[in-house]
Amino acid sequence: MTAVPAIERRRPAPGKLWQSLLYHAVMLTFAAIFLLPFYWMTISALKFNAEIFANPVSWWPDPVRWENLAQLFMRDDFPFLRQFMNSVFYAGSVAIAVVLSCSLAAYAFGCLRWRGRNLVFALTICALLMPTIVTFLPVYLAWSRLGLVGSYWPLIFPFLLGDAFFIFMLRQFFLGVPRELMDAARLDGASEFRIWWQIVLPQVRTALVIVGLFAIVYTWNEFFGPLIYLQNREDMPLSLGLFTFQSQRATEWSISMAGSFFTAMPMVLLFLLTQRLFQQGLTTSGLK
Amino acid sequence: MGAVTLTGVRKLFGTMEVIKGIDLAIADRELVVFVGPSGCGKSTLLRMIAGLEDVDYGAIEIAGRDVTELAPALRGVAMVFQNYALYPHMTAYDNMAYGLRRAGLAGAEVDKRVRATAAMLQITELLPRRPKAMSGGQRQRVAIGRAIVRNPEVFMFDEPLSNLDAALRVEMRSQIARLHRELQATMIFVTHDQVEAMTLADRIVVLNGGRIEQVGTPREVYHRPANIFVAGFIGSPAMNLLPANLHRGAALELGWGTRVTWTAAVPALPDNAPVTLGVRPERVSLCDAARAQASGEVTLAEHLGDETILHLKVSDGVSLTVKAGGDVAALVGDRLHVAFDLAGACLFGPDGRRIAPD
Repeated sequence: MTAVPAIERRRPAPGKLWQSLLYHAVMLTFAAIFLLPFYWMTISALKFNAEIFANPVSWWPDPVRWENLAQLFMRDDFPFLRQFMNSVFYAGSVAIAVVLSCSLAAYAFGCLRWRGRNLVFALTICALLMPTIVTFLPVYLAWSRLGLVGSYWPLIFPFLLGDAFFIFMLRQFFLGVPRELMDAARLDGASEFRIWWQIVLPQVRTALVIVGLFAIVYTWNEFFGPLIYLQNREDMPLSLGLFTFQSQRATEWSISMAGSFFTAMPMVLLFLLTQRLFQQGLTTSGLK
Repeated sequence: MGAVTLTGVRKLFGTMEVIKGIDLAIADRELVVFVGPSGCGKSTLLRMIAGLEDVDYGAIEIAGRDVTELAPALRGVAMVFQNYALYPHMTAYDNMAYGLRRAGLAGAEVDKRVRATAAMLQITELLPRRPKAMSGGQRQRVAIGRAIVRNPEVFMFDEPLSNLDAALRVEMRSQIARLHRELQATMIFVTHDQVEAMTLADRIVVLNGGRIEQVGTPREVYHRPANIFVAGFIGSPAMNLLPANLHRGAALELGWGTRVTWTAAVPALPDNAPVTLGVRPERVSLCDAARAQASGEVTLAEHLGDETILHLKVSDGVSLTVKAGGDVAALVGDRLHVAFDLAGACLFGPDGRRIAPD
């Protein structure tokens, strides 16, 4: 055996090391800038109101007021838990509605061949260019005539008719499903509805989860729709309930911050648990 | 039983006509192979018979029933796809049982038929597995099982061996031939592989540009190609197609000036009529200069072991392919002399159709 010559392992060039250090320093600075409001919200939730505005700034609550959190769940003028459940219901319903309706439409656009398909798809995409505010008034009047203002129908039902963005997004995934799978199912005697449900949807499970997640995040933060259609405090989702509480109790910052903390936290956790899917969704839809 | 009849079948995609009037009768229990170059419409025609593509004009009958407007599942056909098309989220068992369940068969009957088919194909151990846990050959066997279990009148195969490696392709080819013998069912097989076509088919349908160029047994299309297209398409290496002029129906003047005697009967043609002589590469033999009917420089020599394929440039625009023995050691650049055995040669008229032999 010949001895392996003793050579020193290659080290990264000094220039590259500095480049890497600079890169990380810049990224950490930006991360700190973005995290600072979250940190401030969190510590403010555990302070006295007066301590929040103390000068010099106090970076840690002293004492830590856990009772602020207990108060949040017990106040009569801020039914936080009820509104939290409203948000869960609202976001969950919209997510289910979007996944079902948009996947049906995406199946028609991506997997079926029919005359005028591309034209109808182009018109659907054009709906993306239409600002919601343009159609707001006639839509509101329609719901008002139906006597459903003040309920969740106007907020959830439109999503049962599909959403242009999610249809576009799902169609991209559906185009990747091999046509032969659907042909095989047709030969096996499956109806188009059954093919969609039993053959195609299982192939795009990831896409459905992504669309559901996007819908949940969008709905959780939605403010304008609930503001217009909901009046009762007990019916409001958190996005609107928190705003209403802040408007009425402008000085109770610690309770507001505790509410904000519990409003933001589900979405933060959702993102942390599913960030790979979020990234996949963003790259597929071409959004940034 | 499973006879298939196509009458004036045409298909348009937009304004482009891809199937241009097909008339074809496939007998019960026959194995017919559709061959043709890419884009010739062979897969489209198969899909039309299966009901996966609409028929714009004409009619399709299966087992004496007009199925032109029937849904695929009601036609009594089953199909094996190129990429297997097994449902990825189902086990092999569920893949095979899916069509039977859709047909409303009872659970016990479904189970009995799936297991019987699996035993016949020797895939019982694959039944609990999903497609991703199977090799390409295993997937193909399950896909064939899915077709067989439905007990269709007509089996269709859309290039089912294309995704398999060479050894597996040979194995699956013999398995399909065995199945055809055992099942005694009508089969339509689409391929661009001539070896598959020649070895499997009772009859070959050669398609080109949406039309049928020839229908015949493998021997017929090989030895008696209907026209220049079939002559050039069937056979590997392809038939040599040499420009010539026919003198008084008895002598051929080849493109480079050599005269050869033509003994087979030909229809009346004007003297010196331009024709094409078709000679298979195995009918061209190396010889010495004295007997040579053509000479040329080797432009490519393919040494395949048991045989050597030589490509010669005879004159400008005319090249010849010669199938010689494996011991021939010719190299690129060598000058070789060849002679033709015209006993099995074909003559094509000015319109490209075969005029001799009859």
